[in-house]
Amino acid sequence: MTEEPTQQTNRDDAWAKPVDKLTVGDARAGAMNLNVDGRGLTGPLQGFGQLWQKTYRIRLDGAEASVQDVVAYWKANLPTLMPDDSRFYPSLTGVKPGEVLLINATLPGMPGGMPVSTGVLILYADDEAFSVMTPDGHPESGFNTFSAYDEDGTTVAQIQSLARANDPVYEFGFRFMGGGAQQERIWRHVLTGLASHYGVTAEVDVKKVCVDNRLQWNRASNVRHNAVIRTTLNAPVRAARRLFGRA
Amino acid sequence: MASGFREFQASVRRQDGTAIVELSGVMDGSAEQLLNSAYAEATSSPPERLLLNFADVDYINSTGIALIVSILAQARKAHMPLITAGLSEHYQEIFRITRLADFMSIYPDEAAALAAA
Repeated sequence: MTEEPTQQTNRDDAWAKPVDKLTVGDARAGAMNLNVDGRGLTGPLQGFGQLWQKTYRIRLDGAEASVQDVVAYWKANLPTLMPDDSRFYPSLTGVKPGEVLLINATLPGMPGGMPVSTGVLILYADDEAFSVMTPDGHPESGFNTFSAYDEDGTTVAQIQSLARANDPVYEFGFRFMGGGAQQERIWRHVLTGLASHYGVTAEVDVKKVCVDNRLQWNRASNVRHNAVIRTTLNAPVRAARRLFGRA
Repeated sequence: MASGFREFQASVRRQDGTAIVELSGVMDGSAEQLLNSAYAEATSSPPERLLLNFADVDYINSTGIALIVSILAQARKAHMPLITAGLSEHYQEIFRITRLADFMSIYPDEAAALAAA
């Protein structure tokens, strides 16, 4: 038997097993778990807004870190690399295919921001990359891939999203309420933080390509799952639980 | 590129109104330029449909899936049906979980895809 089939089998394990609905297992303490359990997955073709491919890159010039080192560090320190207004909570198992990563964030649009509790599925993870896929109700519909690669002997860390706004409210927010700028700020924060760990100060290179500029009006009803609206509507319930001491 | 796999290749031929893009090797980020060139060649004279043949593909990672999504999005924008052939059972599952399968018919091999066209 040759080595190649064995290697391919191992690589195939990098993919999440098919699921119809997401299930949140062992959530970390402090993570608000709303709008994820029981949700279906939604890809770049299922959302409402324009489809964008956005690529954020930082060169780790001078860093003594291989591609595998960088991705291993990234997976292990994902929560601490995120800014305060966009907290990631991997399951206790970590960044593994099929696990759910909870996200508690604050979106711009009103003073103090709008809270949103959501999450993503770890769709793919190997030693050079990991990718997440969004559920119904998430601000975006699509994939985000966090990876590293070698470019002329220098390790480059990259975040690439292929996604569109999930519904008309989010599309408005991304275009006119600062959502797009916030997203860019978050990924710049992550990459500069990652580079800083390796003692590197560098600029983040950003490339944006509109893959499909059409709005998918037949997906406008996705708004019924909108995680921001649902998180906001749930706020009195959470407040009452805190008041009466119930978890 | 993932070690132990062949480099990505893409070639285009035409048969009965179908532009067939034959893919081989590993589909990851390094495949982007060749795949986009193949798509441009296949659609330079718009075919009735586009067939992606994965029979000779060794491995697809998540970046490779994103490249396929981009091709599918462009084909949909051009109102061109996109069909696939030669996907292993494993990658048929991946196409379902990523919901690519919502928008493309999946056939076991090229002959079946062309017969159904």
